[in-house]
Amino acid sequence: MRGNKGHIEIKNVTKIFSRNDQATTMTALSDINIDIQPGEFVSFVGASGCGKSTLLRIIAGLETPTQGEAYCDGEKIVEPSAKRGLVFQDPTLFPWLTVWDNVAFGLKATGRYKDSKEKIAELLKLIGLEEFHNSYPHQLSGGMSQRVSLVRALANEPDVLLLDEPLGALDAFTRMNIQDELIKLWQERGTTMVLITHDVDEAIYLSNRIIVMSPRPGRIIKEIKLNMYHPRNRGSTEFVDYRTQILKLLHFAKEEVAEYYL
Amino acid sequence: MSTTPLTREQLAELEKRPKSKLQQKLDYCISGAPIAFATLLLLNYHYLPNYKFNTTTAVYPLFVGIFLLHFIGWFLAGLFSKKLREKLREKAPFYSAVFLFLLFYDYLTLKTGKLPLPYFPWPDKILNAMIDDRLLLLDCIKNSLILLFTGYFFGAAIGLITGLAAGWSKQVHYWVMPIIRILGPIPSTTWLPIVLILASSLFKGSVFLIALGVWYPVTITTLTGVVNIRKSYFEVAKTLGAGEKRLIFKVALPAAMPNIFQGLTQGMSVACTTLMVAEMMGVESGLGWYITWQRGWAEFAKMYAAVIVICLTFTLVNFILTQVKKRVLRWQEGTIK
Repeated sequence: MRGNKGHIEIKNVTKIFSRNDQATTMTALSDINIDIQPGEFVSFVGASGCGKSTLLRIIAGLETPTQGEAYCDGEKIVEPSAKRGLVFQDPTLFPWLTVWDNVAFGLKATGRYKDSKEKIAELLKLIGLEEFHNSYPHQLSGGMSQRVSLVRALANEPDVLLLDEPLGALDAFTRMNIQDELIKLWQERGTTMVLITHDVDEAIYLSNRIIVMSPRPGRIIKEIKLNMYHPRNRGSTEFVDYRTQILKLLHFAKEEVAEYYL
Repeated sequence: MSTTPLTREQLAELEKRPKSKLQQKLDYCISGAPIAFATLLLLNYHYLPNYKFNTTTAVYPLFVGIFLLHFIGWFLAGLFSKKLREKLREKAPFYSAVFLFLLFYDYLTLKTGKLPLPYFPWPDKILNAMIDDRLLLLDCIKNSLILLFTGYFFGAAIGLITGLAAGWSKQVHYWVMPIIRILGPIPSTTWLPIVLILASSLFKGSVFLIALGVWYPVTITTLTGVVNIRKSYFEVAKTLGAGEKRLIFKVALPAAMPNIFQGLTQGMSVACTTLMVAEMMGVESGLGWYITWQRGWAEFAKMYAAVIVICLTFTLVNFILTQVKKRVLRWQEGTIK
């Protein structure tokens, strides 16, 4: 466990985008306040357009909030940092680098490569791709690529791992496998995990806390703490209750949007 | 079915429709055609009387003979190896056509004089010219290559830097674009008369011209390549801790490499053209100079010899470039054909 690192605070964050085609603006996030504790596994669920990806990008340092601030371990987030690793839905592996060099990219960028060769080998072994270390990304399947993308972010030993629907494009079986791998990694390392997903089951299966968001403008409608031990049973009553509760909330959110437009 | 994995060839073999007897015989005939035509060529050369005072040497039949033996060997090896047989079947029509062309050309020049001297020397004459002048030709190849690669290297390097900088920085883009727009459409050879006067040496002037010709396509393709890189590559790199230097050299540069090689290939063809023009107009060495010089002596055989040497040299240069490209872009293999 890594003690007190990986504390994320979002304070009164509002993000407004200007639309390209017209002179209007769109509020993606409206007055968001969240405190994510070190070592916590937090998931954001919500319909598309609720600004959950924008929020993640703000935490990563890839977007600047229009109002309010985001902090990581007390420091204001102004630009991306190796402390906050990011995994996209698309693996985004560098196609010109081998699997090994992809994983080594962050370590080379932060000047730790020389002492970390064993670690890379270990990580590749962990995801069962040690034989593929010399392969290029186009030779890998979707699930393999996403695994590499995951360990590429992990190799840097970030304090926070930001996951933007990382399993969204994978088939159901691969998805469940990687979910278990994620749990294992999280339990071993105690990295703070922030997951964006629209798969409610995935959120319940993985997280300590689920934050439900509603769209237009994106805001938090409910925070749910989950008191369940891992490994969780997808068929247990508790699990199903949480699912019903969240789906109800999301449905409610939808109705409210309809009213809003009427 | 066996469980060992099959190669692509084996799979194609399994799924292929069987060939008919007639087709198989036809395949053998086509595969033997180069041998037949080369033999015919030699018989024609040796037995048909020459036109008027045309003389011949043993160089050409020796040369053709080597090829003939090569094809006989290939045909015989094909009887045992399926791979060689199929390769020969594929290449045979082309080589047959080449021998047929040479046969007719010999007939029209050497044997009947329908295409007259000095403008149309027969292959034997050209080969002899090449052999007689080999030392000078080798020297010319050397000088041409030195000039070509000096200019190409500078042009490509500066083009790469310009393209990367303009693709990366808006400010550089602002200042570089007008220059590219104005200079780009002017063929670099246009500057030749001016450069030949202004440059302190013809070599330096020609290097400048070749570099200019290479610079333009390399700059444009590098710029396009960098501008079109997926934004997410940079985002991922940044979250992995990459600074600006790393973003430029470890992300932008390799991601733009496929485009850059398009520019390098285009640049090579421009460089070859510029080289020839520069050598024909001013530089007093190299293959282009050799051709103009031999024209002064009305040595047509030597001019043709030089054309052939130029063809071989530039083919070799482009082959090397393609190999480098394959090596550098091996990560693309299979994704783009």
